[in-house]
Amino acid sequence: MYQYDDFDRNFLQERVAQYRDQTDRYLAGEIPDDVFQQLRLRNGLYIQRLAPMLRIAVPYGTLNATQLRKLASISRDYDKGYGHLSTRQNMQLNWPELEEVPDILAELADVNMHAIQTSGSCVRNVTTDQFAGVAADEWSDARPYAEMLRQWSTYHPEFEWLPRKFKIALNGAEEDRAAIAVHDIGIQLKRGPVGETVFDIYVGGGLGRTPAIGARIREDLPEQYLLTYVEAILRVYNRYGRRDNKYKARIKILVKAMTPATFGEKVDAEWAIIKDNPQVLTKEEVERITRGFAPPAYPLLADASQQLADQRLASPAFNRWVEQNVALHKQPNYAIVTLSTKATGIPPGDVTDVQMEAVADWSERFGFGEIRISHEQNFVLPDVPMHDLAELYELAAAEGLASANQGLLTDVICCPGGDYCSLANAKSIPVAEELLQRFDDYDYLHDLGPLDLNISGCMNACGHHHVGHIGILGVDKRGDEFYQISLGGNATNDASIGKIVGPSFGRDEVVGVVERLMDVFIDYRAEGETFLDCYRRVGMEPFKDRVYAEPMTVSPSASAG
Amino acid sequence: MPALVKNQEIVADDWLLVDTISDYVPDNAIVPFEHIHSTQATAAWIEGDCEIEEAGEQLARLDLVAVNFPAFADGRGLSAATLLRNRFEFKGELRAIGEIQPDLTPFMRRCGFDAFVLADERAAATAIQCMSSMSDFYQGSVIQPQPPYLRNRST
Repeated sequence: MYQYDDFDRNFLQERVAQYRDQTDRYLAGEIPDDVFQQLRLRNGLYIQRLAPMLRIAVPYGTLNATQLRKLASISRDYDKGYGHLSTRQNMQLNWPELEEVPDILAELADVNMHAIQTSGSCVRNVTTDQFAGVAADEWSDARPYAEMLRQWSTYHPEFEWLPRKFKIALNGAEEDRAAIAVHDIGIQLKRGPVGETVFDIYVGGGLGRTPAIGARIREDLPEQYLLTYVEAILRVYNRYGRRDNKYKARIKILVKAMTPATFGEKVDAEWAIIKDNPQVLTKEEVERITRGFAPPAYPLLADASQQLADQRLASPAFNRWVEQNVALHKQPNYAIVTLSTKATGIPPGDVTDVQMEAVADWSERFGFGEIRISHEQNFVLPDVPMHDLAELYELAAAEGLASANQGLLTDVICCPGGDYCSLANAKSIPVAEELLQRFDDYDYLHDLGPLDLNISGCMNACGHHHVGHIGILGVDKRGDEFYQISLGGNATNDASIGKIVGPSFGRDEVVGVVERLMDVFIDYRAEGETFLDCYRRVGMEPFKDRVYAEPMTVSPSASAG
Repeated sequence: MPALVKNQEIVADDWLLVDTISDYVPDNAIVPFEHIHSTQATAAWIEGDCEIEEAGEQLARLDLVAVNFPAFADGRGLSAATLLRNRFEFKGELRAIGEIQPDLTPFMRRCGFDAFVLADERAAATAIQCMSSMSDFYQGSVIQPQPPYLRNRST
């Protein structure tokens, strides 16, 4: 991963001192509430329903064992012994004290971590494929470019006070695991004619109240112009994005109002003037950053396929886990393992200090001390020797991190919802919990195949409900919690926004609705067809008809919450 | 009483900001930009959403340009300042007026502002401190166009 130098370390130290001073002045009554709010947000600190929430940056979801151990100790010393993996690949603490945040930041800085720009109307954590650098289907590693963008956007003098938050994602693989189509800027890496890296640039995607798929405004952007082109986009947005209504302030609204073609022309006109300014990436700088992401020296391993086949035969549970949670690695005899946080009784994405320390240990024992966080809120170990899979599985199972559900119905993406978040209209965690309880038969889940079910507790769509094959949105109806269901969303290649099925449901009906949707899918699917493909072929009607066919009978277990 | 910070010092303000134009316009008036011709003033103020591409050449000839921040978190003035300095090579005083919070002055300074009108002397003193709280930054700016890796960053 990227290696901090003296510049990076000094920057963080000064930033911690600066934030400590800001906190002191706020507590002394010298900074008004509305101003301090904007300052603390730019450092990831929200004031939530029950307590502050601190969002710690995990740039493009990559961290090392030392950093994860620090997160474990911080969650133990300053919080309640757990953290939450967010859909921007960050970690959130739900119970820190405002007064102690400067101390937490100082501890984070000791391991080259921070909370800079994890909130506020500025460029947020740049995200990418959680399998970047190791995925078998990757043609270019996006992490170095994500790091260049992180550095460039950190404390940018002109773009720290944008109309609204700004999210950038990159993808360098065949399968888009970074959801670039629903980002303010999505960057697709490609290979140019002589093998060099070039970029396709998409703008104006996003979720929230007005979901939109990004439009491509530039093809084959040469590598050296990455920063100057993004600068041109942000300047146009900063100047012309709406500031009168926060719900119309994202770049997607501006792109739509101007049309993508006109927006692109405006960007090109700006870029023509600045394209060769001093932010043009030099060969040396690209090499300096890329060096940190060079593949580790993989020891050559003996072929473990026979051993693995025998182990899978011997244990159905292990077999299911390998089938679902182990992905192909670039390197022979290595594998990428997803450690699912989605187990019954646990809010999706929540991990304890003990689990964090265990994952840190495994990353060293079964890899090179590196861990990833996926936007689906799971941990990933990127470099596990095949012959160690069975041992890792046993250890992970003992820590509750071996649910064999990666990419299945119960691999729910879920925001903290009304249990924690002051923006939420409805709770989301109890809905996820009921789903996990009801759909606990692995064979059934596996038969249903790949299925993204995403839950958001409000329009802000932190749970990405618009791009779930099934999306669930919490809405408030005269003080009661209701849930709107949508179908056909997709966050990866061929991205789409889900369509609302119809009138919303009470909380005790939601799981029953999902069951009926699955029944329709099973009735209509063709051989080998996924839920999304089936929906796209047969359309909304059969699903809608069944869901509203007769009154939902509520089972006693589901109505309890 | 508002206090002016210029080049990291609290200084007396020799200029007079005027909102509306009457018959007599003093020599030291900072007039709304649309009145620059009728008044022959040498200083003008603009809003952050000013179309710098259209106004830049005229603005660049003035002694002083003030940019109004209608709300402290409204960053449009940062782009206006950057364009005025970089694209139109404005060399005069670039002054931030309106809702100026001390903690935001470091960003403004790096976009080319060299003068700031704060709410009072205490806020002005805090702004001066804020402007020295960080020693270097990842990217180039109006006042330091070269990013660190083009200067002295270790490799």
